Amino acid sequence: MKNRIKIARAENDLSQADLADRIGVSRQTINSIETGRYVPSTVLALKMARTFNKALEELFQLEDTD
Amino acid sequence: MKKNLLLPHSFRLVGWLLFIPAVLLGLANMYAEYKPAFLGDFTDETAALGVIVGLLFVAFAREKVEDEMIRQLRLESLQWSVYINYVLLAIAVVLLYDTAFFNVMIYNMFTILLVFIGRFAWLLYKLQRREETFV
Repeated sequence: MKNRIKIARAENDLSQADLADRIGVSRQTINSIETGRYVPSTVLALKMARTFNKALEELFQLEDTD
Repeated sequence: MKKNLLLPHSFRLVGWLLFIPAVLLGLANMYAEYKPAFLGDFTDETAALGVIVGLLFVAFAREKVEDEMIRQLRLESLQWSVYINYVLLAIAVVLLYDTAFFNVMIYNMFTILLVFIGRFAWLLYKLQRREETFV
C-alpha cells in the first residue's frame, strides 16, 4: 500500500508529532505508516483523512503487490 | 476506542520493584536454602508470587501512548514468547531428567513473561532507533 501522508503533512504544515497528537497515536506510529512499515486500521486511516480534509484514497492507494 | 486489558503506565516501575527483590530472594532460596526469619517456610511462595506479580505488572503496564501499532507489537511479542517458551521446554524434555528437569520447570513458570518483556522492549527500542535515523 502506498501513501501520501508525508506530502499531506507538508501541505498542511504539520510535523509527525502534530499529526500524532491530533489522532491520538505515537509519533513512531506516524513514522512507521509513512515509511510503509505499518498499515493503519480503517479507523486510523479515516482519522488521518479527516485531519487533512481529503478522501481516503487520496491518502492511501493499493499497489499491485497488495 | 476498544478497551484493552492493560494496567496503568506507573505499574511498570512497581513491577520492577517487586520483581527484583523477589527474584533475588527466590534464587537465594533455591541455591543457598536462604530463608529469612520473618518468612520461614513461606520464602519460596513469597518469592514466586513476587516474581509472578512483578513480571505481570511489567509486561502489561500500558505504554505512555498505547496505540494500535503498539498493540500489534505487543501481540506479536506474546506469540513469539509462547513459541520460544515451548521450544525451550521441548528441548528440556528431551535432554534433561530428574532434578535438572524439575529446575527447568521452575524457570519455565516465568519464561513466557520474561521472553515477552524482552522481545517487546527490543521491538520498541528498534522503533525508537529507526525513528532517530529517519527523521
